[in-house]
Amino acid sequence: MSAAATAWGIVVRDVIRSTRQRSRLLSGLARPFIWVFLVGAGFNGIARLQDGMSYQAFAYPGGVVMAALFGGMLTAISTVYDREFGMLRLMLASPSGVGAVLSGRTLSAALVGSMQATVVLICAPLAVHLTLAQYAAAAGALVLVSLVSGTLGLLVASRLTSVENFGGVINVVLFPLLFLSGALYPTAGMPPLLRAIARANPVSYMVDLMRHAFGQGAEFSLRLDLAALIGTAIVGFGLTALLFDPEQRFVGKKPSGEGRLTAVVQP
Amino acid sequence: MTPGPEGADAALAIRAEGLGRDYGDTRALVGLNLAIRAGALVGLLGPNGAGKTTAMLLLATLLAPSRGRASVFGHDVARERAAVRRRLGLVFQEPSVDGLLTVEENLLFAARLAGLDGQAGRVAVRATLHRTGLAPRARQPARQLSGGWRRLADIARATLHQPELLILDEPTVGLDPEHRDRMWSLLDTERRERGATILFSTHYLSEAEPADRVVMLARGEVVADAPPFALRSGLGDHIAEVDGDGADALISALSDSGVVVVAQRTGRGWRVGVRGGGEVVTERAAAVSGISRLSVRPPTLEDVYFARTQVEVES
Repeated sequence: MSAAATAWGIVVRDVIRSTRQRSRLLSGLARPFIWVFLVGAGFNGIARLQDGMSYQAFAYPGGVVMAALFGGMLTAISTVYDREFGMLRLMLASPSGVGAVLSGRTLSAALVGSMQATVVLICAPLAVHLTLAQYAAAAGALVLVSLVSGTLGLLVASRLTSVENFGGVINVVLFPLLFLSGALYPTAGMPPLLRAIARANPVSYMVDLMRHAFGQGAEFSLRLDLAALIGTAIVGFGLTALLFDPEQRFVGKKPSGEGRLTAVVQP
Repeated sequence: MTPGPEGADAALAIRAEGLGRDYGDTRALVGLNLAIRAGALVGLLGPNGAGKTTAMLLLATLLAPSRGRASVFGHDVARERAAVRRRLGLVFQEPSVDGLLTVEENLLFAARLAGLDGQAGRVAVRATLHRTGLAPRARQPARQLSGGWRRLADIARATLHQPELLILDEPTVGLDPEHRDRMWSLLDTERRERGATILFSTHYLSEAEPADRVVMLARGEVVADAPPFALRSGLGDHIAEVDGDGADALISALSDSGVVVVAQRTGRGWRVGVRGGGEVVTERAAAVSGISRLSVRPPTLEDVYFARTQVEVES
């Protein structure tokens, strides 16, 4: 009961925080829309896709995944800010322990990612036709995609020591995960090495699952997508629990050494 | 269900035996021996890097000990962390308040972390807001609070689940006298009305005067552990501060007369603790030339601090 209250407290706090950081919320939403509607408008003319599908329709499932991935991972990675500015130690001092804190962070990241991706999903008719059943399937897929995004974000955060690395994570982790996933262009045309990396990339299975939901041609079976994503969530959470060092915040701030020294004479 | 504490340890709020912690090659805390009775107010003093924060984090279960053991109300800090944390309210050196949340939201967050959800959490938050005087600021984002009110919000957060033990690491640092006074009033109420045990560290030594006991740390070791009056009287009846070229001669004369309890070289001259009235100092000073400043006054905890925490180089 106490663990549930702790995890719930973290979820509520993170959701409140994310709704009050309007610029971050808007930039998170702008990213997929810019890709689908601005870059996609140019690609519509040059991209040759099967079934005469427009590039914007092809990229839309990837845009939904992009919103969930960035929203979820960046919220989870903000654990580094909490570590730096003292809120994490407050959570770690809870009687519920590290497991409840990590669960709360994962769920809150998933929820924030879902919220952002839901806005993108609602706007889907601007680029692609979806039936009600496809909408429902996409919403279900979104839950799993966001949960895995939160788990991956927390895994990255578990080894990040300072907020200065935050920008680097976006360039070195998030963009490669997205570009090598088939979200923005089919992996079939990639060189063999990149295609192999794409097959090992969990985001590829997020995008593929969303394509199943959208009724588009998918690369993998639905069963494989679900197995890969559920497996990633379980292994990712387990690894995070192993790698997360609750003492890091305190050990990182070592005592400065000896006190002020002057001579004392006992006559 | 957590098993209850057993034996004599249960009567003590804190017991530590040889509790120590290393950071790599650095011995932050060598071996802390401590027994604090329930309901006591205990000050932990010492220079920066003396091991105060490490000792507090160890007792709060947030660091694992490198050696020794400790218990809080009979519960081992290494093996029964959840049981210890349920009895604990913590205030860290830097405020732990989320600036994007309102004061009320911060307290609700803290209530949930303490396991108080739903109606129980809301009732505890409402009561805490009124008790701490934060009610008029409940809907204000914490980032808009002054440093003093933010610190009080921190105290409110640490006390809302009515912990039996409060551990406060320099809770008054950076506060103006009005907020310091308000904070100590709140903590005094926690002791009087609920019998809470309080372990605090501070660099404002006068704040430790009302404590039942003062524990001084230096270089990771306890160098003094007694009530403030006992520590003060250990330095003699008066403290004389002497500056000028003739200071050495005066100290020598006082030493010959056998009244000096402790003498300590300062940046400008000497600080000596003497037995008996202060007249003996002024009489001897009149016979020595080159004294640019002489003050004689009763000992304070600051004198004890300097005498006990600095390294002995001669004896």
